[in-house]
Amino acid sequence: MLQILKNKMSLAGVITIIFFSFLALAAPVLTPYTPQGSIVSGQIDPPSWYPALAGSTTWSQNAQFSGLTVVGSGVQVTVLDQTADGVKFNIVSIPSTGGYVTVMKTLSYPYSGPPQSFSGKVEVIPSGLDGTAGAPATVYLQQGSSFDSDHVWPLWEKTFVSGDYNPPTDLTYPTNYGVQQFTPAQRIFSQKTQYTYAMRIDLPGYLSSARNVSFSVKPFSLFLWGTTWGLLGTDNNGNDIFTQFVYGTRVSLIVGLLATFIGIGVGLVVGLLAGYLGRLVDEVLMRFTDMMLVIPGLPLLIVLVAVLGPSLWNIILVLGFLGWPGFARVIRSQVLSLRERPFIEAAKASGAGTGYITMKHIFPNIVSLTYVNLALSVPAAIVSEAALSFLGLGPQTIISWGQMLELAHGAATTAGLLWWWVIPPGIGIALLSLSFILIGYALDEMFNPRLRRRQ
Amino acid sequence: MGLRAYLLKRLLNTVILVLFVITLNFIIFELMPGLQGAIVNLISNPKVNQNPAQKEALLKLYGLCQSFVNGVCVPNPIQNRFATYFVNMLTFRFGDSFQTGQPVLHDMITTGKLENTMVLLGTATALSLLIGTLLGVLVASKRGSLFDSGWVTTSLVTYSLPTFYMGLIFILVFAQQLKWFPPGGVTPAEWAISLPPLPTQILVRIEHLFLPALTLTLFFYGGNLLLTRATMVEALSEDYITTARAKGVSQRSILFKHALKNASLPLVTNAALSFGGILSGAIITETVFNWDGLGLWIWQSIGWKDFPVMQAIFYIVALCVIAANFLSDILYGVLDPRIKYQ
Repeated sequence: MLQILKNKMSLAGVITIIFFSFLALAAPVLTPYTPQGSIVSGQIDPPSWYPALAGSTTWSQNAQFSGLTVVGSGVQVTVLDQTADGVKFNIVSIPSTGGYVTVMKTLSYPYSGPPQSFSGKVEVIPSGLDGTAGAPATVYLQQGSSFDSDHVWPLWEKTFVSGDYNPPTDLTYPTNYGVQQFTPAQRIFSQKTQYTYAMRIDLPGYLSSARNVSFSVKPFSLFLWGTTWGLLGTDNNGNDIFTQFVYGTRVSLIVGLLATFIGIGVGLVVGLLAGYLGRLVDEVLMRFTDMMLVIPGLPLLIVLVAVLGPSLWNIILVLGFLGWPGFARVIRSQVLSLRERPFIEAAKASGAGTGYITMKHIFPNIVSLTYVNLALSVPAAIVSEAALSFLGLGPQTIISWGQMLELAHGAATTAGLLWWWVIPPGIGIALLSLSFILIGYALDEMFNPRLRRRQ
Repeated sequence: MGLRAYLLKRLLNTVILVLFVITLNFIIFELMPGLQGAIVNLISNPKVNQNPAQKEALLKLYGLCQSFVNGVCVPNPIQNRFATYFVNMLTFRFGDSFQTGQPVLHDMITTGKLENTMVLLGTATALSLLIGTLLGVLVASKRGSLFDSGWVTTSLVTYSLPTFYMGLIFILVFAQQLKWFPPGGVTPAEWAISLPPLPTQILVRIEHLFLPALTLTLFFYGGNLLLTRATMVEALSEDYITTARAKGVSQRSILFKHALKNASLPLVTNAALSFGGILSGAIITETVFNWDGLGLWIWQSIGWKDFPVMQAIFYIVALCVIAANFLSDILYGVLDPRIKYQ
């Protein structure tokens, strides 16, 4: 068996399979995201290595604002509690001339291209303002240090009185900016410079009588979603495609191997029975096998899965039970030829029973055939599973390579086909199939002396 | 045995196969938990209910109800249902599509779905046979050369890549990037409003047909090529070929008039037998390219839970494959003199 490793081609096959198995097993370790539930970056992002290859300079990656500070102007601020994402502070006293507080984060924007979009979160719980007209506040973005309308963009305005304040949706800038060909992100983050994300809470003079004015601000964040991401980019929702690929490996391997084992198992039994018991049993079983072989595979698969429902086990069972006819035929002919050999006759003459002969004599001689067929049948199962998933008949909650292609095809109406979404799953299928085929050929060479090349 | 006895035997086999397919179809759809629900759905569909005659006709067609008691359906026992079903299948009465409410057979023909699939299949089969055989002959004559190993490798590669993947890559490269061909559909959407002159029509139709036909052809020419090569190599090693060469017969004559004729028997039978595979490939190709044919329709009917359509198309596809197998049996009987003179 270890001779497989001696043949260079099958060694490559074994290594590839080990690699994919590793991907399948180590998936949660390799990627912290979920295939379809975590938004990791902008939508339809090509991989991060692509711009360098394509010679583009206007690309960006994710970024976020940091360095939370609270600064009072005209008032004294006492910080009660501060984390990376929020701050709780107290205003000591408000003069009758009024003042304001600025909560802010900064970012030195490092990319030469604008982000695809940005979204921010703010939540403010004021206290001590009950009964007053409230404290008007503005959340804004500032580019550089100038404070004019060309460099400051308001995102949200609210007057805090009492209660819990959130903007109704994630903070972003209204799209009808007036400069139609640019998105807000492109307009705002157009320079590679210092940016400030701030909330200015005005404390007018009428609040000077208020006691214990404090604010709890948490969260206060702004994410910039980049235009490129990761190893394989993102899909039309912003999910990481590398994650999808890695988790998809599991389905291909599991379904491919299990379905093949079932098919080979059933085929082995049927072939043995038909070959050894002969005559009526043979005739009936072979008629049935021939009929199953004529029925077109994919339409039958489609109809069966549509009827039984798209669960993973249904697919495995259906693929397995449709895979046995071919193998049964092969085993049957081999058993038929073995049956006539002298050593079987001798065993029968010594009084050996059917069961004993089957197990001790026939079986070891078809084991090699089984191994070879096993290896060569797995690619068919993998491709069939991918085809079924591509047609939408796979389990919708579990990602698979075929499903990645289905999703890419379905999303193509708006964005066209995304090459970083389409190419990896297909290469995965092809490589995995090729590995099993190479191993199968090597096994065949090993067990079938006629194929061995003269050394 | 003679030709007649052989053909009769194969005909009997074919008939048994057809019966088997009908039974299989019935069993599968009997298993269908949602089928009864779907039929109830159809019956309570306002369009159908408006027309009591149609409703009764439908119920009679499916043989669901033995009789009506106070307007409520008394279920028909399974053997009656099977008998009704059997007759329906043999007479091609597939009932009405759940989605459109129109008879399935009627839909198939008038909306051009059958025609579209036949165009795609015909083109792909013809091309893959032609290209596969031609290249196979050439490759066999240049055996051992780079030409030979190059084409063999290419055939193996295209044979092992999944069809839908190749189709997607073609759309990506040829339709999206290079914009040489449209990304899908049989005809452009604008034709619903106004049709251009006939020469343009034909040209545009060919444009739309090109990529799907290419995908399907690529998938199958490989098998033809490899088989032709194998049989040709065997045929070319025979003594009579050496004699012909010594006589001075031209290479082209040797290849096509002598060797190919003798090598063609397995090719012909293989072509008929692989028809089943081409049909399956067509279903996927039609889905990838949004080609409005039977394959796309069976895929859509899964989503719509349109069981009459699914049953009908599966049945027709199975019939086509059985017919192709029978055709291959006939051809084998006619072409192989050993059968005639047994």
